[in-house]
Amino acid sequence: MTENLPTFVERNTTQLSQLLDKILAAARPGAVFSEPVHSGDYTVITASEVTAGGGFGSGFGSGPAPAGSATGTGESGSASATQPSEAGGGGFGGGGGSHGRPVAVIVIGPDGVRVRPVVDVTKIGLAAVTTWLAMFMMFRRLRRLRRGRRRPMQG
Amino acid sequence: MSWLSETFRLTTTKGQSTTVGDLTVTPEARAFVVRLPFVGFVWNWPGAVRVERGDQVERLRIVDVSRIVQLGLLAATLFLVLFGRARDARRKGKRDD
Repeated sequence: MTENLPTFVERNTTQLSQLLDKILAAARPGAVFSEPVHSGDYTVITASEVTAGGGFGSGFGSGPAPAGSATGTGESGSASATQPSEAGGGGFGGGGGSHGRPVAVIVIGPDGVRVRPVVDVTKIGLAAVTTWLAMFMMFRRLRRLRRGRRRPMQG
Repeated sequence: MSWLSETFRLTTTKGQSTTVGDLTVTPEARAFVVRLPFVGFVWNWPGAVRVERGDQVERLRIVDVSRIVQLGLLAATLFLVLFGRARDARRKGKRDD
């Protein structure tokens, strides 16, 4: 098993690398632009932003077999003849994901080509709430500082 | 240097052209690819649309409004936080004097 482990790792690493290449195939225009949809005089193409990523890792190790391991211990007790001198183990792990979001719609009509943006209200709303919270906290802090400065003067 | 260009790539690719009447529309996508031996990342976004009508060629940029607004708000937040900290530090300095 220990002798085969590097080969096993190499084979799996190659397979995982190929898998990663497939994930990275998102970098093609077909993933960004949809197929044209025809409706009456209009043709619509959706343009989206696509993000994909992934990673993997592997590790293996080997070392001397622990003394007195039961492998191959016969009745006579002559374990050293059959007991493996080395033992090892390995593991793999990986993960990946992708995300897509519509950015704009390309409308081809009788009046020409128009690019209409798609506004993500949720995203903007969350960013606005964060900004508002930051502003609120900063103004509260400034007011507190101002009060702290005035009080000793009044007393 | 070649290692760097192989690891980080910024590419522009043209999509399939669509012809409607006398108009030929070709979308262009941009991609930022990071490729390391065990890690990979790709960010692919629409760049522009190339509109051809006879001899006339027009290039319409695709603007990500949501991203621009989001970045604007983020910049505003950062500015406010830094401004507040600077003002705090100045007040504390005056008080110590």
